[in-house]
Amino acid sequence: MTGDDAQRETDGRTRLTLAAAGASGIWDWDIAGDRLYVDDRFAALYGLDGDMAGRALPTATFFSAVHPDDRARLRIAVAGILGGAERFSKEFRLVRSDGTIVWVHGRGQGHADERDEPVRFTGLLVDVTERRLAEERLRIAQTAGGVGTFEYTDGYATVAVSAQFCRLLGLHPATALPVRTINALVAHGAPIVPEDVNAATEIAGEFMIVRADDEETRWVARRGEIMRDLDGPGFKIMGVLYDVTEAKRSEAKLRELNETLEARVQEEIAVRMQAEDTLRQAQKMEAVGQLTGGIAHDFNNLLTVIRSSVDLLRRPEISEQRQKRYIDAIADTADRAAKLTRQLLAFARRQALKPEVFNVLICVNGIADMLRTVIGARVELVIESNCEQCFVEADIGQFETAIVNMAVNARDAMNGEGRLLISLDDQPSVPAVRGHASAEGAFISVSVSDTGAGIPEDVLPRLFEPFFTTKEVGKGTGLGLSQVYGFAKQSGGEVEVTSELGHGTTFRLYLPRASTPPDAGEETRSPAQERGQGRVLVVEDNEQVNEFASDLLVDLGYETVSASNAAEAIGVLERLDGEFDMLFSDVVMPGISGVELARIVRERWPAIRIVLTSGYSHVLATDAGHGFTLLHKPYSVQELALVLQGRVAV
Amino acid sequence: MIPDDIALQELERDALTEIVNIGVSRAASNLRKMVADQVILSVPSMEVVTKRRAARLIAEREVSDLIAVRQDFAGTFSGRALLIFPQSNSLELVRAVTGDEMSPAEIADIEHEALAETGNIILNSCLATMANMLQRSLTMTVPHIVRGDGSSLFEVGDDAASDGLVLFLYIDFAIRQRDIRGYIAMVMDLPSLAALKLLLAEFIERIVGNAA
Repeated sequence: MTGDDAQRETDGRTRLTLAAAGASGIWDWDIAGDRLYVDDRFAALYGLDGDMAGRALPTATFFSAVHPDDRARLRIAVAGILGGAERFSKEFRLVRSDGTIVWVHGRGQGHADERDEPVRFTGLLVDVTERRLAEERLRIAQTAGGVGTFEYTDGYATVAVSAQFCRLLGLHPATALPVRTINALVAHGAPIVPEDVNAATEIAGEFMIVRADDEETRWVARRGEIMRDLDGPGFKIMGVLYDVTEAKRSEAKLRELNETLEARVQEEIAVRMQAEDTLRQAQKMEAVGQLTGGIAHDFNNLLTVIRSSVDLLRRPEISEQRQKRYIDAIADTADRAAKLTRQLLAFARRQALKPEVFNVLICVNGIADMLRTVIGARVELVIESNCEQCFVEADIGQFETAIVNMAVNARDAMNGEGRLLISLDDQPSVPAVRGHASAEGAFISVSVSDTGAGIPEDVLPRLFEPFFTTKEVGKGTGLGLSQVYGFAKQSGGEVEVTSELGHGTTFRLYLPRASTPPDAGEETRSPAQERGQGRVLVVEDNEQVNEFASDLLVDLGYETVSASNAAEAIGVLERLDGEFDMLFSDVVMPGISGVELARIVRERWPAIRIVLTSGYSHVLATDAGHGFTLLHKPYSVQELALVLQGRVAV
Repeated sequence: MIPDDIALQELERDALTEIVNIGVSRAASNLRKMVADQVILSVPSMEVVTKRRAARLIAEREVSDLIAVRQDFAGTFSGRALLIFPQSNSLELVRAVTGDEMSPAEIADIEHEALAETGNIILNSCLATMANMLQRSLTMTVPHIVRGDGSSLFEVGDDAASDGLVLFLYIDFAIRQRDIRGYIAMVMDLPSLAALKLLLAEFIERIVGNAA
């Protein structure tokens, strides 16, 4: 092996190593001589034969391995240098013999002679493939993440920045910005680029800025690290900037929310209570609506009895015994009708939820008549009690509504024909239903079972949703069972439904058993036997009713004076100097109302007892008695007697 | 947004960059001789923007007041060239070109004149080189000194003309030992841009020819 050979081999190895390491090559373009000299690393990057290094090559070699798409660009750049430009800085692609592409950065310098004529063009070629990839990744990361980067060297007037950094601040993208330009955007507070960092090793902060382009106020966060010179006080900051406006706004909103939480909770509760109230009333009116259909039917039956009895009574040849029978029939029928309307009115009344301890059996029996009317004659109603002390603590009105709702549902399930069983039972626990765990404790269950078609399994889970209904439009609003559910939950109970297609459905309402029975009260009061006495002023605008009431009072032993309105009544009182024991007045009258009259009388003649009477449901619903005794129309003689004797507070 | 007949293609942009590079290099070479110091140049950046935007581009980069030497040029393409630097730098530049031999009072006296002369040499060599590369001739007005912010340098007002498009290109330069930095900026209006585009196409044809 000759010395030359050895040298060549060594060069070859070096070249391969350097090429593999992505090292840089140099070129020297002799403009005057129109020749190009390159070193072996340049040759390796260009894929030239190693022999070419150091030799005079045609200048076209400079463009030989360049990617066709970059060639024109590069030619123009070189033309600039050949024309006298000083700086050359281009990135372009080289195509290797194996077809792979290498990105290189050529950085060069044009040299001129003393007459400013360009004579040489020298430069350095660096493989930047890796860097291009990294840059691309960084660019994507910055854009996607909205993160801008900056680099500041202590004492410099400018900061190296990324395009995203400029965009965040609303500045035109640039690679360097003056420190002042950046810091001038901060609305108030510390600067984004600190000129003094003391002993800190990292920087973090949030800044309110006014963006340069649209002048929008935004928040940006800064994070970064401080790198100190090994000697001396110099430092360098490398940091990132990102927009945190949304987070800041959410934070502010959250703070505000926290501060006003209490007020809003109260407001929300009020709104919700109002809505619940409305829903409850709607649910009740739904039940009333269901009731009235049945009741109208029942009423017609009652009226038929009365009407035909009266017709029969008009016959001249009727015996006394028959007369009595017809009169009794009329009286009984009227009583039944009155009872029905009273239940209906009491039921429809708007009232606050008021839990009280009551006997479930008595309550159910109390509404049995109404239920019969509701379910119709072809459905048999059976009430069964399997518990001794069926006391629960709940709102009676809601309870009754729930029973009616379940009964109406049962009626519809049976198409108006079958058997409705209401059964009361002691229960030691509530079974697990709808994902709720079972609950131990003393409960009373009220089961409403029908012999209807049953409920398909897919409908079962939705039964208790408000406004869920399988009924036709106009037949039901779907509020009934949701009321049952709401009532059960509110009362600390549960409602369970079991159904078998073709055999029937059972709704079982569980309510916690109340430990203390309520005061027995005066449920079995003896009818008024004693006769009344005293002078009563009867005020009533309806002539017949006035006359009727006066007759009744006289029959009961009272002396009466009639007035047809409040003004007339006051006239009578003044004339007779208040010589009355009692005022018995209608509430709704033309002119001064009964309540107004009662107030006047109470003030001027306090000794006179006052009893008001009304048949209007809205009067009954709004506590229109205003503290005065109120007797509901229609009233029986017995009720009137009890009230006048002050024995019943109605 | 930008009409096709003035939007620069990538190669035209490259070509213009190089032509400006050549012009600026000549200018820097002249400046270098005048201050006997290294002059560093950036790669030119160029954009077709509104006049208003051009003013902002300068303002964003300089908060303080600016001073500029302004020369208008006319020929196949016309426009305005500016040598801009922070006002605080101007005395230092005068000191540099006058060779550090004058007292501060003397420098202040000749500031105006010295700046105008320096600007004239730099801008002239730059523009003349560009015209030469494009094989056209240009006439130039005498230099004016302008002080103010970006808006006043570009005469941006509230008038509609400020929304007109211009070719804005600028090059940062710095004199290494002197803490002097500034910009060379050029503004051309649309008719000039269209003319310039044709000249650039010719230039590219000459350089790349059928070798591309």
